[in-house]
Amino acid sequence: MAAASGSDLSSEMEVDAFRRLFPLNFHERHLLKSIRPDGRTLGKARDTIISLGAVTSANGSALTKIGCTTMLAAIKLEVMTPTVESPDEGCIAIDFHMPPICSPIVRPGRPAEAAPVVAKQLSDTILSGKAAWMAYLDIYCLDADGSLFDAALLSAVAAFSHLQIPVVSLNDEGRIVLISEDNGGGKLEKEPVNKEKRKLKLATIPFSLTCILHKNYILADPTAEEESIMETLVTVVLDSSSQLVSLYKPGGPVLAQTSAIQDCVSLTRQRLKELQKILNEAISDMEVD
Amino acid sequence: MEYVNPEGLRLDGRRPLEMRQLRAEIGVVARADGSAVFEMGNTKVIAAIYGPREVQNKSQQINDQAVVRCEYSMANFSTGDRMRKPKHDRRSTEISLVIRQTMEACILTHLMPRSQIDIFVQVLQADGGTRSACINAATLALADAGIPMRDLVTSCAAGYLNTTPLLDLSYVEDSAGGPDVTVGILPKLDKVTLLQMDAKLPLDTFETVMQLAIEGCKAVANYIREILLENTKQLEFRRGV
Repeated sequence: MAAASGSDLSSEMEVDAFRRLFPLNFHERHLLKSIRPDGRTLGKARDTIISLGAVTSANGSALTKIGCTTMLAAIKLEVMTPTVESPDEGCIAIDFHMPPICSPIVRPGRPAEAAPVVAKQLSDTILSGKAAWMAYLDIYCLDADGSLFDAALLSAVAAFSHLQIPVVSLNDEGRIVLISEDNGGGKLEKEPVNKEKRKLKLATIPFSLTCILHKNYILADPTAEEESIMETLVTVVLDSSSQLVSLYKPGGPVLAQTSAIQDCVSLTRQRLKELQKILNEAISDMEVD
Repeated sequence: MEYVNPEGLRLDGRRPLEMRQLRAEIGVVARADGSAVFEMGNTKVIAAIYGPREVQNKSQQINDQAVVRCEYSMANFSTGDRMRKPKHDRRSTEISLVIRQTMEACILTHLMPRSQIDIFVQVLQADGGTRSACINAATLALADAGIPMRDLVTSCAAGYLNTTPLLDLSYVEDSAGGPDVTVGILPKLDKVTLLQMDAKLPLDTFETVMQLAIEGCKAVANYIREILLENTKQLEFRRGV
């Protein structure tokens, strides 16, 4: 009934009003022509920008934008005593925040439903590095326009690529002390434990793509509007050697055939190449500086 | 410790009456009704305005004017050491209240009855003067959202160290223990809407320091006006006028 009344009124109504009143109808009309309201084809992701070193007070940081979705990730390192079971390993604490500036539906005092879900997904995906360092990774969503997990993962990965472990030394009481750059030039009382700032070596880098399933269409990289109307999301995470790290389909009205899932995985594989290129460009731009 | 060296330069190389570099940008959060980034030196804050929109808590609705809400929060990585509790600690609650009352004084709330205006400010990097940067960012964001105001509200802080009045304190100078006077004014109307000071200061020195802060506010107002004019020209250009 809604669809019928929609098409009766559509000839008399303005596009914006039709978009607000009959969103599903509006999007389906676009899907029939294999295109989406912002002009993309079904399998294409939005423009992605990575900017490293956005926060100067953090040890590593990155600002990423996928379309309008903006994420700011920053890593601060603290020295910790490793556990007895794994004396060789440090650990990572991940915190994902959605402050009220990012979206009109987030109210202060009531965190967004998406926030802890994305935080948990990130913890499952990112594994720990090799030092007695505690890395606090904080990701802030500054603008929420769909594909939050993709943007968050990309910013976390970029921040780790930018991370530089600072120079430390053992002082007289046996505690680790950070050597700041001001007195690094002159004579040092103690020999530094590591000679220079070093970058973290990442084993494999995970990249992800979120797709929406609707009837028999697969839409890659949805905006917030598309996510709110068509609720079945599939997130695929692949690492740089195209191996599957994680597959996440949290219910939803559409039941997917295995062929649909395989299509999602191949879309992710294409996206992986794009993202690797963008990340490498960002890293090499920074090293030139 | 010497905050002003014998040649008259401060720790970061500025003169006592010099402000830090200002940088602002409008329309940075796509989904907000109005938004702005404001930088004063290394202090960087982002403000987003949602409103006027329907009041979320009907019991707070006012029949003849708009409700203004404000939340100030600092990112975990914004200060030197990682912050544990960025949102509901006492300082954040106090600053949220201060910003709300300052902005409420200049918004024409009686034009938007039974509605709500939300001001959210997030500090991304803190290097002293976050309160002032937040108020300046909120002003820009309100202008971007098209919310009617009596005048711009601009804010700046000044202090007094080594017997010299200093404009726009950085974090190191602020934590030196000297007085810190924060002023918020409506520049065209020449009225003071915010005045806060901690520590002790003799009255005549206070007059000097407050005047200095007011001069700083006027300089910020000029900069904000330039940014807004530039933004309007861009909008005109895009519309093809």
